[in-house]
Amino acid sequence: MGVMRIGHASLKVMDMAAAVKHYENVLGMKTTMKDKAGNVYLKCWDEWDKFSIILTPSDRAGLNHVAYKVQHEADLDVLQKRIEAYGIKTTMMPEGTLPSTGRMLQFNLPSGHDMRLYATKELVGTEVGSTNPDPWPDGLKGAGAHWLDHVLLMCELNPETGVNHVADNCNFLKECLEFYLVEQVMVGPDGNIQAAAFMTRTNTPHDIAFVGGPSSGFHHASFFLDSWHDILKAGDIMAKNKVRIDIAPTRHGITRGETIYFFDPSGNRNETFAGLGYLAQPDRPVTTWTEDKLGTGIFYHTGVLTPSFIDVYT
Amino acid sequence: MFYDTRPKVSVHVVQTGETYTCATDESLLNGMLRLGRKGIPVGCVNGGCGVCKIRVVEGAVHSLGPISRAHVTSEEESQGYTLACRVAPTIAVRLEVAGRLEKPFSKGFATPANHVRTK
Repeated sequence: MGVMRIGHASLKVMDMAAAVKHYENVLGMKTTMKDKAGNVYLKCWDEWDKFSIILTPSDRAGLNHVAYKVQHEADLDVLQKRIEAYGIKTTMMPEGTLPSTGRMLQFNLPSGHDMRLYATKELVGTEVGSTNPDPWPDGLKGAGAHWLDHVLLMCELNPETGVNHVADNCNFLKECLEFYLVEQVMVGPDGNIQAAAFMTRTNTPHDIAFVGGPSSGFHHASFFLDSWHDILKAGDIMAKNKVRIDIAPTRHGITRGETIYFFDPSGNRNETFAGLGYLAQPDRPVTTWTEDKLGTGIFYHTGVLTPSFIDVYT
Repeated sequence: MFYDTRPKVSVHVVQTGETYTCATDESLLNGMLRLGRKGIPVGCVNGGCGVCKIRVVEGAVHSLGPISRAHVTSEEESQGYTLACRVAPTIAVRLEVAGRLEKPFSKGFATPANHVRTK
């Protein structure tokens, strides 16, 4: 069946101790593993695989790679052929390239972002287990995020030179990985420039998003919470921990998600996100936002785009 | 303004000749925002996004945390470049705004002829 969901994101951080403290105390993740190179692996309480975030020591912020999990090992071989036939070079990285993880099919998206697919990761179970589970575990820290939900990648878009890596990525994910487009932003005098694409393989409104900008980069990694009230509480936790909040609690028009944006101690943007919005399905008509309503699409209440939200990324 | 007893120093912006007061435990960016100039970019405020690049021309600052090498190279750092969100003034400072900070400080003021635009 191919890609199931987002598996993990590997992020560069400039101060490991501060980063681990943030992902543990603010988001409520737990460290599950550390390796000799100094990388730290963490998971959320409701995730069953060993990790969903890798923090790697660096002299800068940003994304190393994002990985999605496929259902079967054999899917990797099928997808490798398909991606190569599409004209994108791939590398099959052997099992153990990442600890507790099977072989990974590596390639770069048309936007240049490093993406990986894998079928196997060590199963450790959720914190409430699989037999007569409680709805949530005791001792949760911080926001108590359920799982890594999606990432948003900034992609080069320059209508003057004809570069549109949002559209290129969207086509690639449709053709090769069978993602479907759920929502999009169309701009330009004729409304024919795809400036943002929200795509999914699950039935949530997005498993990945692409937004056009002057250069490629990492916009945010988003973590799922149950409710609007959990978003408010997450805001309290950020205030307690002196976390830089980028966007105070509000709702997105796009995806209908309830949201709060903030930065980790290296300046990588995070989101906690609630509300599944609607049931995303392959036959659901694609929602389109026009250029004049872009502000409403991004921040539904004010309809005003905050400059930092668009201009700032790592 | 609430009464604020923190030790403060004065910070001078070379391009515009403006001066603001900055506490020695707050970032140069935080103080700069009180100038009220429209468009001063406030990004991640954690040294990662690079929108608040400056060059310390005179005076001394102390670090509030690491800054991204993607935005300030070692060579630039040795020339005084840093990110305004990640340094606090130790003594009075003269600074030049750089990169994305140049635009909000350009309105209504002539750009010096010898001014070199940085990334």
